[in-house]
Amino acid sequence: MLRGCLLASILGLALLPGLAQSQERKETGSDKSLLIGLIPEQNIFKQIERYTPLTDYLSKKVGVKIRLKVLTRYGNIIDNFASSSLDAAFFGSFTYALAHTKLGVEVLARPEALDGSSTYHGLLFVRKDSGIKNVKSMKGKRIAFVDKATTAGFLFPVAHLMRHGVTDYKTYFKEVYFTGTHDHAILDVLNKRADVGAAKNTVFERLAQTDTRISQELVVLDKSANVPENALAVRRDLDTALKRLLLDALLSMSNRSDGQTILLNFGAKRFILTADRDYWAVVQYAREINLDLAKYDYMNE
Amino acid sequence: MKKRIIIGLSVFALIFFAGGIYIVSTIEKATSTLDRLIRLHQVEILREQLLTDARRVQADLAFKGTHYARELDTVVAHVLELGNEARSCLGCHHSEEITAKITDLVQQVQNYKDALSRVLTIRANTARLEEEEHRAVDVGQQLVDQLTTMTSLTRARLDQRTRASLQAIGGMKSVLFILISIGPILALGLAVIFIKGFTRPVGLLLQATRKVKGGDLSFRIQGLRDEFGEVAASFNEMSASLHEQIQNMQRAEHLKMVGEMAAGLVHEVKNPLAGIKASIQILLQEGNVPEEDRVVLTAVLGEVNRIESLMKGLLDFARPPKPQFMPVDMNSVVESSITLSLPYSSVASGSRKAVEIVKRLDPRLPMVMADPNQMQQVLLNLFMNAVEAMPGGGTLTVSTSENLETGSSPDMGRHIQIEIADTGKGIDEETRKKIFQPFFTTKRKGTGLGLAITKRFVEMHSGKISIDQNPNGGTIFRILLPRTNMEETTAPTGALTGR
Repeated sequence: MLRGCLLASILGLALLPGLAQSQERKETGSDKSLLIGLIPEQNIFKQIERYTPLTDYLSKKVGVKIRLKVLTRYGNIIDNFASSSLDAAFFGSFTYALAHTKLGVEVLARPEALDGSSTYHGLLFVRKDSGIKNVKSMKGKRIAFVDKATTAGFLFPVAHLMRHGVTDYKTYFKEVYFTGTHDHAILDVLNKRADVGAAKNTVFERLAQTDTRISQELVVLDKSANVPENALAVRRDLDTALKRLLLDALLSMSNRSDGQTILLNFGAKRFILTADRDYWAVVQYAREINLDLAKYDYMNE
Repeated sequence: MKKRIIIGLSVFALIFFAGGIYIVSTIEKATSTLDRLIRLHQVEILREQLLTDARRVQADLAFKGTHYARELDTVVAHVLELGNEARSCLGCHHSEEITAKITDLVQQVQNYKDALSRVLTIRANTARLEEEEHRAVDVGQQLVDQLTTMTSLTRARLDQRTRASLQAIGGMKSVLFILISIGPILALGLAVIFIKGFTRPVGLLLQATRKVKGGDLSFRIQGLRDEFGEVAASFNEMSASLHEQIQNMQRAEHLKMVGEMAAGLVHEVKNPLAGIKASIQILLQEGNVPEEDRVVLTAVLGEVNRIESLMKGLLDFARPPKPQFMPVDMNSVVESSITLSLPYSSVASGSRKAVEIVKRLDPRLPMVMADPNQMQQVLLNLFMNAVEAMPGGGTLTVSTSENLETGSSPDMGRHIQIEIADTGKGIDEETRKKIFQPFFTTKRKGTGLGLAITKRFVEMHSGKISIDQNPNGGTIFRILLPRTNMEETTAPTGALTGR
């Protein structure tokens, strides 16, 4: 409880810069439309194909034309909100914490997976035949992060490294690079393009279902705490009625037959209400690696 | 004609129907061919579009990081279009071989998308970035090569197929033109045949009516068949009947005139003749008349008797007495007539046994309404003629019978028939034609009125008399008498009968 209040106050203070960004927009009338951003959680084309049925459904239910904009970088979400082109986005846990802190975006709901989980965690993995057993044996190797603005693909592995005494990962490894997507981080380690990788468990498990080599040839060295699954958050100055409509449409999907079909193809059982307090683990990791969310430079080097 | 019209119209309808079916099926076939061709061209366009899109994405990749690079959203849209088009190819129906090729193509596109996604999202050192870009370009080039090969191969096949289809459609078009041209000609031909079929008989009938109107009652319509043939036959019968009636009227008029003359003549001649006859008879009774004068006077008396007989015959023919109709059993009349004629037969033939009389009388012969005296005179005339026709002897056969409507003279209805057949020398056809005419005779001393009066009497009974050749040699006279007035009478009551 105490931890929750602390998070709320931190996030509350961080809202202030975002207020300045509020602008007049047209969200009523027949020509109203919404632009929703997608983070490159996986192959960006697959990402669009996965989210298109969901946003089509929302368009129909809310009565607003919804377009998708896929981004090649997690951090672009922040930039796009800042440049006022995005109305909402499906945020990863860390990008939401950043966006909320910097811009004041408001989270609405996130999917609950078919197994009942609504969170994910980060994995740090290597190939079984790489001989890498711990952080010490990683020295001088190649590490594949996902993006500087991801919890599972950056925040968690850096925290892990720091916990094991690595203060500057850039010099500890022979090569540090950002794959941009979780699946590529996994596939790069699998295909020996990198020695160490970090990614979210949901993508890891999804790939493992179609490629048995992943579970046979990779080994997980550590996993992070659970953080909320990618959630839909909207800009703070979005029309309140529209916010309400979007939230209602998402929460009621599991009660409608057409909604259930889309949810099933999406890989979710339902959408559940999500609040800022669900992101405490992210804040915790940020603290652990001395990261100031308000000033964090999320762009990859 | 009705039959011909029905057959003609049926044939025309059948030809029209068959032509219609052929035209519809030809159009359907041509449409299907064109539809198939269009779909093949659409597939070809889709394939070429896929190739264009692949090249466009390759260009996007080549321009990446330069001033000419397109917006990321545009590049993403291009890649998505490429993927959608590749997937739409799988939606069509293909053979197993083609499906395998398209599946391979879709997988190639997916690989390209993976590589492109990686290029667009990765942040790494220059060497790794270049490696990823080269890999994506290689995958893209493989895709372009694969599509180019497919497109050029299918384009050649499609060109060939298009030419064959257009040639087939051209053939169909020619057949259609021929059919459309033949249709009206056929219809016109049939119309001409029908019109001719109507106008020729109508023209002939019109010509015939004009001829009849002009007095040519001997004109007969020839060469018409079917219903028009029946009309022509009726018309011919009508003309013949008219001709006969006019002749009858003329004859009746002629007879009337002759009768009046005869009556006047008989009246004028009778009294002087009676005076002459009486005077001669007185003279013959005188005792002092020399023998040679007596012979002359007797001859004169015979001639006077002959003149009287001629006068009576002439009067009977010209002004016959009105028949006194009563129910008559004609078998009895035949019997009595034979009895009366027997003496004459022996005299005429010169031998009592020379003429054998055979009677074949129908015992169930019904009664008829007739004047028994006139009928007896008729039969006596015929019997005497028959006996005279057999100077060397022979057989006189008399038979009676009843005929129904469907008998030898259906126009008379129910009637009885009396036949008198001799086995004499017979009568030639030319003579038979004239034998009932008054004053026509082949006898040296005949008056030529016997058969004319016979015919007159029979006709006054609404009957008919005819003459025919006897198959056994000789002649047959046949009398028909109607039963119209004696409907169901079979047993006479107070009738003149010999039974």
